[in-house]
Amino acid sequence: MPLETESTLRIRSIIKDFKPNNGDLLAALHAVQHELGYLSKEALEVIADQFKMFTAEVYGMASFYDEYRFDPPARTTIRWCSGPACRTRNSTGIRDAMLATLDLDEMGEQTEDGQCGVVLGQCNGTCEIAPMVWIEEHKAYEIPVGKLTAAKSIKLVRALRSGSRIEDVLNG
Amino acid sequence: MVSVDSVTSGTQTNERSSATKNYNELSKVAAEEFKYWLNPLQPRIDIANDTSSLANGSDKIEQILKEIIAESGAGIDIGHVHGYGMQSVHPTVSITWPNGTKILYGPITPKRCSDVIQETQDGPSSHLKDLVIGQINGEPGEIRSIRDHPFFSCEPNERRLLANLGITDPDSLNHAIATGSYKATARIIGRRMPEGRVRDSLIAAGLTGRGGASFPTGVKWNFLAGAQGNDHYVVCNADEGDPGAWVNRVVMEGEPHALIEGMLIAGLATGSKTGFIYLRDEYPLAIARVERAIQNAIDNQLLGKNILGSELEFNLRVIRGAGAYVCGEETGLLSSIQDSRGMPRIKPPFPAQVGVFNLPSNVNNVETYATVPMILRHTSEWYKELGTESMTGTRVFSFSGDIQQVGFMELPFGTSLDKILDSCGGIITPTGEQGKLYAIQSGGPLGSLLPSHSIDQLILENASFGPWDAIMGAGGIVFIGEGTHILVLNELFSEFVEEESCGRCTTCHGGNQRQTEIVRRIISGGGRRDDAPNLKLVDDLLQHSNCVHGQFSPKTMRNTLQHFRNDYEDAVAGYDPTLTLSGMYELEIIDQTDPLLDEAATICPKGQFEGETGNWSINMSGCVRCGACIDIAPNAIQKKALARSPRVIPIG
Repeated sequence: MPLETESTLRIRSIIKDFKPNNGDLLAALHAVQHELGYLSKEALEVIADQFKMFTAEVYGMASFYDEYRFDPPARTTIRWCSGPACRTRNSTGIRDAMLATLDLDEMGEQTEDGQCGVVLGQCNGTCEIAPMVWIEEHKAYEIPVGKLTAAKSIKLVRALRSGSRIEDVLNG
Repeated sequence: MVSVDSVTSGTQTNERSSATKNYNELSKVAAEEFKYWLNPLQPRIDIANDTSSLANGSDKIEQILKEIIAESGAGIDIGHVHGYGMQSVHPTVSITWPNGTKILYGPITPKRCSDVIQETQDGPSSHLKDLVIGQINGEPGEIRSIRDHPFFSCEPNERRLLANLGITDPDSLNHAIATGSYKATARIIGRRMPEGRVRDSLIAAGLTGRGGASFPTGVKWNFLAGAQGNDHYVVCNADEGDPGAWVNRVVMEGEPHALIEGMLIAGLATGSKTGFIYLRDEYPLAIARVERAIQNAIDNQLLGKNILGSELEFNLRVIRGAGAYVCGEETGLLSSIQDSRGMPRIKPPFPAQVGVFNLPSNVNNVETYATVPMILRHTSEWYKELGTESMTGTRVFSFSGDIQQVGFMELPFGTSLDKILDSCGGIITPTGEQGKLYAIQSGGPLGSLLPSHSIDQLILENASFGPWDAIMGAGGIVFIGEGTHILVLNELFSEFVEEESCGRCTTCHGGNQRQTEIVRRIISGGGRRDDAPNLKLVDDLLQHSNCVHGQFSPKTMRNTLQHFRNDYEDAVAGYDPTLTLSGMYELEIIDQTDPLLDEAATICPKGQFEGETGNWSINMSGCVRCGACIDIAPNAIQKKALARSPRVIPIG
């Protein structure tokens, strides 16, 4: 483990209550990602130290799960629901429209300026508002937006791309 | 068989007999509080508070109602309950008057909030007559009982597991106790019911696992009880990953104490002191609610050390998942709890021999555990009154797709799917007209796709799905209307199982990759004659995977080849009457005079509209077929099938 810095100490304080071999690693990764927004290399090293594992093992474990990120999230993340009820209502059209609007090639990418990103989301059973997306800003909000069409999703994404506030986008 | 009532007291230690006394004290306090909840001193508005209600803006409604109450100074309380089941009318509120009348209304819009307040003050049906869904509690009046609502016509007269949904506050331990929670626990501890008796009564009740495999729960618990060593674990699989199924979410958000008590009883009946609830990350509200309920239970000596004052101990923890579907497979789940990749392993050894931290463990679904307390509270005989011979009792099902009323119901096994579709209001098209059923999806991505004509023969029972090479699965059923091609769903599920393969077996990660490629190629218009035999090869190959993820992953594609052969072959030939497969249609402007065309041209995310007002054309080479321009100008732009004759299969 390299020398302690201010940021490693901060990570240590986030995970201080978690113990090795106690089923705590998932929770530790969640806690760090919640605070920092993503799992940096440094964070993985500190976590590995705490859990008495190799950094590669921790990364290997974390990268197995879709929810952990290893790069900072976009300012606004659009989580696109991939469920069947959305699929029968042109959700693939909505996905392709959003990606095309942001000029992205595939899911998981974000715009070059880090303003908007699109990630894949899983059905959570609010299928009455299908097709839907969740608009998220890290630690600020996670808002479900439903009954979309491709045209509505393009307007939504264009507004978010131009930096509009989420309240204005949804009310306007 | 045995009910806990009929168990005679054996020799009791003092601590144990005090359990009954301690429970009675808790129960007395709870009953007093609950009495005022049912007959409040002043009217109360209960706002439905669950994931679905929140997605429909119930938090906004609550805020507006609170503002109006604060402004007017009206004597009205605000409470929270879980939604009743009809998610299409969310957000709902229910009003409880001092005389005990409780009526459910929805959908409530911000504009109608002042009417809600007026209704609360002036009495039932004075201002909100058009939004009445039904009466939940109180003396029968002019308003129909919620039980007579067509949506609930397939449910039994009295709900069992969901009996308190929409009535109690899920965050209140007192409400849970007042409606019977922990009664069975108190009897087991207080009367020193032998461990085996609990398991025997579950076997007698015919309770089977609700996760899809339908293994008898009591038998499974016997394995754990008989396992070596003293350290055993009880694990709850709450990683409900099937898209289109949200049964566990409803149970955890609506009846968290049923789950907790079920696991506690499992602990008592198998000699386990620790329990884990592996809960998926996509259910943050359920995580918060279950954690809160656990804390409440600990604070009241219902969990932790010295349960109800006895020498018994049971600790429960929530493990938050991180978005891996394959962790719903029990060995994957166990390995995920142990700080590692959630990769399933070969069985045997089964979890009852080698589970969490290499110690014997029992893994059950949320609903399985949650059903246990009520079986012990009533009797095994009572439980068997509903359901069929092979599958007793009820379970919660969630229904979604192209239906009028999306929601969940608690249904006895054996209910006909045809009737259920009727109670959901039938199929509707995206424009809101009555449509026709095309396919039924059950059991999630590892489940089945059934043809529309199967509906007459399907009942909610595993055996009824068997002849269609299908499974009923874990409770999520999606009805799909005409207007969507079956391959759209195949793409969804192929992609899903490919992404979620853990990667251990080459058959699974390679086979599913190949399957997805083939499906995508057909959709983009490049179908080949040997695709069907190749898909069959992939299917055969996947059977050699180690876990059910690989073995079941080609099921939906196999169902397509079995039940939707004509649609499949048409698509291979480049013909798709639904015009939903991206490679089989073009866009065509049919009315240049439509004033909406200019807006349609600007909405195009790829800028593929060429020309000017009155003379637009679409460059199809860059079109992503998102359909946005049709959303804007539906009368001016339409899809046109690419000219290929149906069912002439090209060679190569």
